[in-house]
Amino acid sequence: MSNLKIPALAGLLGDFGSKNFNWNKIRQVANPEIIVAFTLFTILMFIAIFGQFIQTHDPMQGDLLKRFTPPGSEGYLLGSDHLGRDLWSRMVDGLQWSMACAMTANLLNLFIGSTLGLLAAEKPGMLRIVINQLVYTLQSFPGLVILICVVVVVGQGFMTLVMTLGLLSWVVYMRVVYAEASSLFQREYVQAARLAGVSRWSIMFGHVLPGVRASLFVIFAFHFAGLLIAESALSFLGLGAPLGVPTWGNMLAESRQYMIRAPWMLIVPAGAIVTAVVTMNLVGDGIASLSRKKGRSIDV
Amino acid sequence: MINITSESVVEVDNLSLEFLSSAGNLMALKGVSLNIKKGEIVGIVGESGSGKSVTAMNLLQLLPKTKINIPTGSISVLKRNVAEMTEEQLQVLRGAEIAMIFQEPMTALNPVLRVKDQINDILLRHKKISQNEAEEVSIGLLRDMKISDPQRVYESFPHELSGGMRQRVMIAMAFSCSPKLIVADEPTTALDVTVQAQILSLLKERAKKTETSVLLITHDLAVVAQLCDRVYVMYKGEFVEEGETRQVIGSASHPYTKALLNSLPEGKKPKSRLATIEDSLSNNSEELKINNKIISSTNKHKTILEIINGSIEYPKDYNVFGSPISFHKAVDQVTLTLEEGKTFALVGESGCGKTSLANSIVGLNQLSSGEIRYKGRNIKEQTPEVRREIQIVFQDPQSSLDPRWPVWKIMTEPLTVKQNPTSKELRIKASELCEMVGLESQFIDRLPHEFSGGQRQRIAIGRALSVRPKLLVLDEPTSALDVSVQAQILNLLLDLQDEFNLSYFFISHDVAVVKHISDMVAVMYQSKVVEMGEAIEVLTAPKHEYTKTLMSSVPTLDTE
Repeated sequence: MSNLKIPALAGLLGDFGSKNFNWNKIRQVANPEIIVAFTLFTILMFIAIFGQFIQTHDPMQGDLLKRFTPPGSEGYLLGSDHLGRDLWSRMVDGLQWSMACAMTANLLNLFIGSTLGLLAAEKPGMLRIVINQLVYTLQSFPGLVILICVVVVVGQGFMTLVMTLGLLSWVVYMRVVYAEASSLFQREYVQAARLAGVSRWSIMFGHVLPGVRASLFVIFAFHFAGLLIAESALSFLGLGAPLGVPTWGNMLAESRQYMIRAPWMLIVPAGAIVTAVVTMNLVGDGIASLSRKKGRSIDV
Repeated sequence: MINITSESVVEVDNLSLEFLSSAGNLMALKGVSLNIKKGEIVGIVGESGSGKSVTAMNLLQLLPKTKINIPTGSISVLKRNVAEMTEEQLQVLRGAEIAMIFQEPMTALNPVLRVKDQINDILLRHKKISQNEAEEVSIGLLRDMKISDPQRVYESFPHELSGGMRQRVMIAMAFSCSPKLIVADEPTTALDVTVQAQILSLLKERAKKTETSVLLITHDLAVVAQLCDRVYVMYKGEFVEEGETRQVIGSASHPYTKALLNSLPEGKKPKSRLATIEDSLSNNSEELKINNKIISSTNKHKTILEIINGSIEYPKDYNVFGSPISFHKAVDQVTLTLEEGKTFALVGESGCGKTSLANSIVGLNQLSSGEIRYKGRNIKEQTPEVRREIQIVFQDPQSSLDPRWPVWKIMTEPLTVKQNPTSKELRIKASELCEMVGLESQFIDRLPHEFSGGQRQRIAIGRALSVRPKLLVLDEPTSALDVSVQAQILNLLLDLQDEFNLSYFFISHDVAVVKHISDMVAVMYQSKVVEMGEAIEVLTAPKHEYTKTLMSSVPTLDTE
């Protein structure tokens, strides 16, 4: 696959506001879709990082006199729930929880998946067979079912959820790294490095890993969306976040009984999930198209 | 020779063409005038990037209209101005009146369709005939291409055919609608030399018989000499010389044409320096004479590498448990000896086992029987440090350099093994290597794609030299390059050999190059070495039947 120039784009965006900022350059690399994706992503990250400062209420503190306040009235931006808690503040909390959970699990996935993929791709042998069999075994179970089973056994909580997601859903990374690295290991420049006596680790980290980097960025974004859904689904089923913690899944579960009376209780967390997932998918698409554009001249 | 009537098929008058891009416009053609008469075979010869393909593509209006600008000139094909034709008219023109033959028949043919579907498709589209008639015509065409079993080829998929057979199918397709003009873009570059000879004579014969005009685009002057009536020499978007082939090659008048002829190894003294385009164009004839002294290699006859009864087998079929049950012999009982400071060349066509043998010398694959001795000991018993004295330079410098690494890092990568030099040291070393291989050292921060093919090959050679090797395995190091660049690389290799007493194991299919550079030569045919000896002896007085065929197939500048 092609070479990705994230630093190049960051460099372009970094000039924003200064004299050097060049709209033409931006226009060359970025189509509207990419701009929307990265704007949405920036907003989400902003909320996740600075959540404490933009919450209007204590997300855990309810006011029973103000139950089911519709959005926009009495100081509740997105309305209140059945216990009179502010939905906006709870949504912000949920975003932080989801982002932290998905990000940590994703990094763990990235590490495990690409390590195993690289090791399996390097040369045929026992290691390749064992890793591939492990992947086949994992793939033969439906993802959510295996997650539910494990969570039922190990219990709820942030760390257990992260570890479960992190240790069980790296297959996509392994498959992609394995496929691309297998072809990269056959390249003549890798053979030339081998003949010069360069160690296998230097070959892996110097030649092969940079070659799959572009794909890793893309999967990272798409997989992030998948993990957000998985996390929300588990929480919704009462298996992810402990009860009472304001996560999107929990909020969704609580809203079921009041769907008719207070539809905003459903719409807020559902809308949040959809927005986050769509954003991450757009980001993935954006990175993919950027890497295609930037990579053409360097494509091998 | 048949009479050439004065009727013009193609007339291009003072054509200029610019490519538009955001980085600035690029003048690709500068006032080009071209004229092809009925039944005439005309060649355009030039280096890559000289504009020869652009000229041909523009005849068929195949360039994206939004990306080009044509300030001056007109093109008329069959007395019609193509610039004014609609897309529909052009389609009729392209299939029925002008046909095209591409360089790489595997990519030009559709891999999922049988040959019959592809030929019939063209016939049915442009002629009003039935399916059955189309089949008859197609098989007749294939027979005309001297295919011995046209029925089998007709039923085959492209991957089931050899490269030469595929190119015959392409030519059959090109002739299928009896076009007035065939544009052949490097039609034999991807083929072996023996097959090339057959294809060229076939093309010439068919064209003369059907009075079809051919526009041949090539970088190979020898191919032009074999095939063309007239030739245009293209350099930097201009025709610098045109005329009868014999006249142009026999008494070239433009300095570029002379330079191009001079850079060919054919007919030059072995091991002498070839004149590069720069040498010739700068008119440094004085200096050239000095450079042209024969570079003598040292006369120490010390054996550096021996291959004794080496065979390589690849598994062909497997049983149900995945263990191989039958083998394909890629190299069969080869024995050869390489002397220090000498060049040993291995000649043969693709698939004969040359590269397998080379890979086993450097250790990329293993001999299945026999042994390789380096400096008198079995190579497997040598330490990694000694084995590093053998380095390889691959054919395609594009794929042998990591596209993400700057040049200094590529060239010095072998030096980082088991040592931790600082990047400052490495950069100094890289500059030295650059100087050694004739690159400007200020470019060491660039990425490989910013260099031309010849420069990239210099980088690859520099990388191999970084560990001070004794033996270089050169796997077709010049066949992806232009002739003039080839001359530079051959000169570089000769200089380096002289300076460092390097031994070369040189693999090539190009007999002229081998004749020029090698001391010893082995001819390989169907996994076996069929003839071996002093280069001049083997290549001037071949004994084996295959070597004779090979030598007679090599296109020469001799127009007779």
